Amino acid sequence: MEAVLHLPVAPNVELVAAKAVETLGGALGMPRSRVEAASVAVVEACLNAIEHGGGSMVVRLRSDNAGGRAGLVIEVEDHGRGFAPEDVPPRRPAPKLGSGPRRGWGLTLIRELMDEVQITSRPGMTLVRMLKYAENGP
Amino acid sequence: MNDERIRLSQELLDQGLGLIAAAGYINNEGGQAIADAAADLMSQGCSTLLIDLEGTRIINSIGVSILLEIMEKLLEEKNGRLAFCNLTPTIAKTFEIMGLVQYAAVFPDRTTARATLEAGGGA
Repeated sequence: MEAVLHLPVAPNVELVAAKAVETLGGALGMPRSRVEAASVAVVEACLNAIEHGGGSMVVRLRSDNAGGRAGLVIEVEDHGRGFAPEDVPPRRPAPKLGSGPRRGWGLTLIRELMDEVQITSRPGMTLVRMLKYAENGP
Repeated sequence: MNDERIRLSQELLDQGLGLIAAAGYINNEGGQAIADAAADLMSQGCSTLLIDLEGTRIINSIGVSILLEIMEKLLEEKNGRLAFCNLTPTIAKTFEIMGLVQYAAVFPDRTTARATLEAGGGA
């Protein structure tokens, strides 16, 4: 099972990717809470691609059974300037209300909501590969 | 998937308790619509705000940032407090990651939330 979406920059286009996650996740029998977590993650990945990618993006989704565990693999690719993922530390809530950063939570949310995340980036191409297992781990 | 456009209802209840029910995608537009409703309720005397997200299943970080701003405004201008109910597990986790639950009360449903907040609890 596989789907490839070529998405332009348009208002709420990230919801197209979220809808695809919902459809494929449902077909895989993923519990609703896991589908929703993957949906929020793909929304954040698409928003990052829109903000930093400089144009359209490609979203690929496919079922996966590596290691005997069923899951959904989601890739979001853009063709922007790229970045160094290791230079983006996880964000933490501010100790005092109003003192923390307003923006820049996307990667933190993606990493927290998905089971595996790999980011490959260079000038002209950034690929965020995310995996959500169909069920909780043993 | 819920509709793109957010749907809101708002009501000022007893004892300065305001209620906003939000259904739909909480992005920058959805978050701003909630912020506008919150400001309207605050101008009518609301100091405790309950946001019911029963009809909301997807959010983004920009929308959550706007909810944080509502909380700051409520605290600064009214010495008030913010509460949520009917959160999906993913939205609850997102709020936890971004720090909302450090400052807001979270209830499983509206009935429990109202009973607690109207009794003066849930801080």
